[in-house]
Amino acid sequence: MAVIETKGLTYTYPSGTKRALEDVSITIERGEFVVLTGPSGCGKTTLCRCFNGLVPHFYGGKLEGNVLVTGLNVHEHSIYELARHVGLVFQNPENQLFALSVEKDVAFGLENLGVPRDEMKKRVDWALQTTDIEDLRERAPHELSGGQQQRVAIASVLAMQPNVMVLDEPTSFLDPLGAQRIFEVINELNKNLGITVVLVEHRLDLAARYADHVIIMDEGRVMLDGKPREIFGLEKTRLMGIGIPKSTRLYQVLEKSGVHLSKVPITSEEATQILKEVLNRD
Amino acid sequence: MSVFEGLRFRRVSSPIHRLDPRVKFFYVCVLFVITIMFGGTINNPELLPLIVLFFIQIPFVLAAGVKREWARSMRGAAFLVAFIFAFNFIFRYIYGNYESFALLLEYSFAMALRFLVLVESFSIFFLTTSPDHLGLALEQTHVPYEFCFAFTTAVRFVPVLAEEAQTIMDAQKARGLELERGNFIKRIKNYIPLLIPLIVNAIRRSLELAEAMESRAWGATEKRTNLYVLTLKNSDYILVVLSVLMLILAVYVRLLPPIPPLTVLLHI
Ligand SMILES: Nc1ncnc2c1ncn2[C@@H]1O[C@H](COP(=O)(O)OP(=O)(O)O)[C@@H](O)[C@H]1O
Ligand SMILES: [Mg+2]
Repeated sequence: MAVIETKGLTYTYPSGTKRALEDVSITIERGEFVVLTGPSGCGKTTLCRCFNGLVPHFYGGKLEGNVLVTGLNVHEHSIYELARHVGLVFQNPENQLFALSVEKDVAFGLENLGVPRDEMKKRVDWALQTTDIEDLRERAPHELSGGQQQRVAIASVLAMQPNVMVLDEPTSFLDPLGAQRIFEVINELNKNLGITVVLVEHRLDLAARYADHVIIMDEGRVMLDGKPREIFGLEKTRLMGIGIPKSTRLYQVLEKSGVHLSKVPITSEEATQILKEVLNRD
Repeated sequence: MSVFEGLRFRRVSSPIHRLDPRVKFFYVCVLFVITIMFGGTINNPELLPLIVLFFIQIPFVLAAGVKREWARSMRGAAFLVAFIFAFNFIFRYIYGNYESFALLLEYSFAMALRFLVLVESFSIFFLTTSPDHLGLALEQTHVPYEFCFAFTTAVRFVPVLAEEAQTIMDAQKARGLELERGNFIKRIKNYIPLLIPLIVNAIRRSLELAEAMESRAWGATEKRTNLYVLTLKNSDYILVVLSVLMLILAVYVRLLPPIPPLTVLLHI
């Protein structure tokens, strides 16, 4: 069943001159891990904003076409209604935390929804446990590293128990190790809790392995949409300036020079495995 | 950025910190009322009760473990205290209806001390109340939630903005900006290259914050709930009773004839 479905989505910001989104039609199934990528300014963030109604309700302007998120038409539902179903995690972790303690921040969404206190406490504990930040509970946000802050941001969205979690370049302020940690947390949410994940990401070397659906955008349009192996294997993807995983690139180079591998590798482990097979064969 | 340093909150715990902020505020108000009840007149200054009021607060400071911070705020008030002393002294001297020089001195001293006692009680309140407690107290006294939220968020961003100001300052200095150059007006102008990026960044930040708030169901219901709830504990009731007793005692003493000046008591 489709969790997110857009049809002919076209949007221009009130202050903008050119279209930020143009005829975007995508379908995201329940439980999928989607990686959304594309060059800067291609409209990834704008698309994410459509998923919880920030576009058009917060940004204004006219959104043409249709977006259904967990069956709700974004045009007809307010941001706070959609917030129960779709959680957004933003790029800069610092600007998503408002409270003076981690615990209070994680509770923020639940407080807004008027969840009773007992229930709220349970959900906050659960969200802190799931993201493995229980020990940070009493800390103030400015005492945390970027990676820890981003995990708090994820926990505070998680506490609202959304069906879909949309993360807009959550690791661009983090070092590779912090990024790796975030991807693992997101992957666990996807695999263990069945939360549908839409991850906007440039670091495909680290993120691609978790994906089971890849969408590539350029200049407001969806250029490619499909299975990771198919998409990363295409020469076109690389020419669009997408930083495909190194293992996939290796595959392409070998292919060109006449070495055929049995499948397109995404991770270095896979590449090693496949290469071993090839080498043993000869 | 020592100015911001002072605003940076620290999480400390002590019996005084754990008291309900509303009760502490009540105590401060009681002390405020008592303090302005005493002081006396030029020919009968009441220094003694003010000295008592100053010293009865010291146990609070010690119990809260904020000696250093308290001493700093007292030092911070020193200039104003000296000013109040000098102001009273000079004007009363010129006015000239005082009976003796000793009384004039005592009166000026009492006025200065009165101010110091007020500063003392407010600083104990702010030194021992964490901003989130304060925000919570505001919320539970039915201050509109928007104000409480603005308050805690402002406090939350003080360290962030301080750091940002430092970064901008370093960046502009690296480009040859000299802050300590020129006359007064020039020096103020020197800060413009710091302020503009700081303000622009703050605006961008506030937009991102608004977006994040909306995404977490801001405004979903009129009846917001709260993770923390302030409840009065035994120690809070004790402080309330203590404050009321102090007030009663003060009113009683006030109804008695004026307290004689120290000068008279000590036969100076
Ligand atoms: N708040 C805004 N107001 C006006 N134009 C915007 C705004 N945000 C983004 N845009 C424009 O929309 C286009 C898509 O931007 P964005 O969705 O942020 O791309 P991406 O996230 O892929 O980098 C860009 O041309 C950008 O300039
Ligand atoms: Mg973006």
